[in-house]
Amino acid sequence: MSDVRTLAVAFAVTLATILGGAALTGYVTADGAAPAPEIQNEHYVDGDAVANDTPGEATVEMAAATRSQTVLVDPGVEPQGALPSSPLALLGFGGPGVADRDVRPLANALIENGHDVGVYVPDPEQQRAVPPGAEQGPTQLGERLAEADAFVTFRTDYDERELDEIESFVESGGHVIVATEPDAAFDQPGAAALDATLGVTTDPGYVYNMAENDLNYQRVYAEPPESDAALTEGVDRVVLPSATPVGTTAAGTDVLRPIAGSELSTTRAPTEAPLLVRNDEVVMVGDSDFLSPENAQRADNDALIGNLADFLVTNDRTPPGAGSGQPPSGPTAPDEPSEEPPEEPPENRTAG
Amino acid sequence: MSTKQPSTALTSRQQLAAVVLAAAVVGAVLAPSVYAATNDPEDTVAVVEIEGPVNAALADDVESELADIRANDSVGAVVLKLDTPGGAPVASERMYKAVQRTSEQMTVIASVQSISASGGYYAMAPADEIYVLPTSTVGSIGLNAPAPQTSSPVLGPSGPDKAGGNEVQGWAEQQTLADTFVDAMMAERGDEFEIPREEVAKADVYLGTEAVENGYADEIGSLNEAVHAAATEEGLGEYEVDTRETGPDTGFPILLRTDTQVVAVHANDPGYGEVEPMGLTYVHLEAVPHVDTVERFSESDLDADRGGSGTDATGNGTARLAGGVGA
Repeated sequence: MSDVRTLAVAFAVTLATILGGAALTGYVTADGAAPAPEIQNEHYVDGDAVANDTPGEATVEMAAATRSQTVLVDPGVEPQGALPSSPLALLGFGGPGVADRDVRPLANALIENGHDVGVYVPDPEQQRAVPPGAEQGPTQLGERLAEADAFVTFRTDYDERELDEIESFVESGGHVIVATEPDAAFDQPGAAALDATLGVTTDPGYVYNMAENDLNYQRVYAEPPESDAALTEGVDRVVLPSATPVGTTAAGTDVLRPIAGSELSTTRAPTEAPLLVRNDEVVMVGDSDFLSPENAQRADNDALIGNLADFLVTNDRTPPGAGSGQPPSGPTAPDEPSEEPPEEPPENRTAG
Repeated sequence: MSTKQPSTALTSRQQLAAVVLAAAVVGAVLAPSVYAATNDPEDTVAVVEIEGPVNAALADDVESELADIRANDSVGAVVLKLDTPGGAPVASERMYKAVQRTSEQMTVIASVQSISASGGYYAMAPADEIYVLPTSTVGSIGLNAPAPQTSSPVLGPSGPDKAGGNEVQGWAEQQTLADTFVDAMMAERGDEFEIPREEVAKADVYLGTEAVENGYADEIGSLNEAVHAAATEEGLGEYEVDTRETGPDTGFPILLRTDTQVVAVHANDPGYGEVEPMGLTYVHLEAVPHVDTVERFSESDLDADRGGSGTDATGNGTARLAGGVGA
């Protein structure tokens, strides 16, 4: 019996030794599933990883102390029932034209300083073609311009008569601000006729800056080359969201240029082309979003808006229409007929 | 005692020898499996597919496959087989983390098929090497997002940021998302990139031939060459390839873009496809078909010999995708 026990023990011991040895060898030589390493992703916890989202504050102030002026704003709203001209409006980008709130910082500054602000929206009922032979009076826009001292427009597609009226308005000393957008270059027929009327130019493309910008590469900073221009008083830099380069026919009249490191979308090359220019009575700016309440709070946009308001009301124009029809609350006395009435030229220039 | 046993019996010494021999034979038979159980040979290269739009379902699969691979000692190296235009930011980050963790443990080589852009590039960036084919597309390191808009106030929510938000805060959030991505890529491949961060942040895409020059990729090579390189790197002599499919089987969701955003279209059979707006994405937009290029067809269109009845433009995704889609 002890033999059997001895044999059993011998079998067990041998087997255990071999298998145990194999197991031990396996464990010893195994790489093993080491505990998961600690991975430090410093780039996620870097203090610069989170962009500053403080909206900022705006204080739009005017310095000009002039008599009450009338400023007409054309937000680019189409006559009721018509489709908006901009394809972007179709997509819900900003809706048709510029909304009320988009120009509020500028409008409020004017209102607070005793000026009148009018908004021009064409009435489709009055847009019927004039019968052949009938004498053409001023357009709806011309009627409104006749009563105005200054004009702010976001529209580009004026017809020939309206362009003539705008030209006369400028020639009579009225101040004009044209705010365009990179998108406008995709419109048909486009702004070339308006630009020619006002002596300004627009380059297709947008300016961007990868190195230094206001929370997005297209929200570029622009700075005045020299700080003594009235339009840039108190302005170190402004933010122009989606800006297109602009120019004038007169030399040395640029007011704001993009900061170093800015590039143009069409060339992908550095650009210094101005984004805001002044050609005497006309200010052309390659962006229209900078006037909105949110953007007025960025950088020195509020100072620029105040300066633009001053520019609008500091004009040499005396509206001849002030004495007839429904005059806006008296910007000027009617006894100064020295200025050329703006309604005259269209009648003679319809043939182009 | 035993000496009194019949002489025909084995001596006790002989018996002992026989038993030990028997035990040794049994042990020899069992030993390999015992050894294998405790020490798997690393002789497998796992190929993990990352294909289609980057979304939570794909990230789930990739995470679990890579976790399984890390715990499986028989896998010596991993090759990621990529073919994706990117997609959701968080899903991209999850795969990035999983690949990063795996890469700490073993050789990981990314093998780009036709495209690995945006979120796809994010996911593969921690790989030890990136293989591309000459006309593969890589890059698009950036965020795709619509412009934050101010909308008229909504009545009802408990706070101003619950529904809607501030335009500037929206821009800041988008910039943070973009910077997070770009910073991660600079951390992973900043030494390889031949272009500065600002150029990387332009989110351009590059063909394979250009990518190996500017550091977006390391080698021109096919999937097989990537597998072989991974095996060689880990010193695997004879190796097996274990391909692990990920993501849903049906080919859905697919990504489409409208004029304003990217949408994921999920199959929902029968009936209408389910369209999920994606908002902020790490996606290479050009690789996502525009909804206007997708023709609608239905059973009747297929039965009758009428061809695809592409409806006109500007329909919304839901309506146009009724009955199925064909690109």
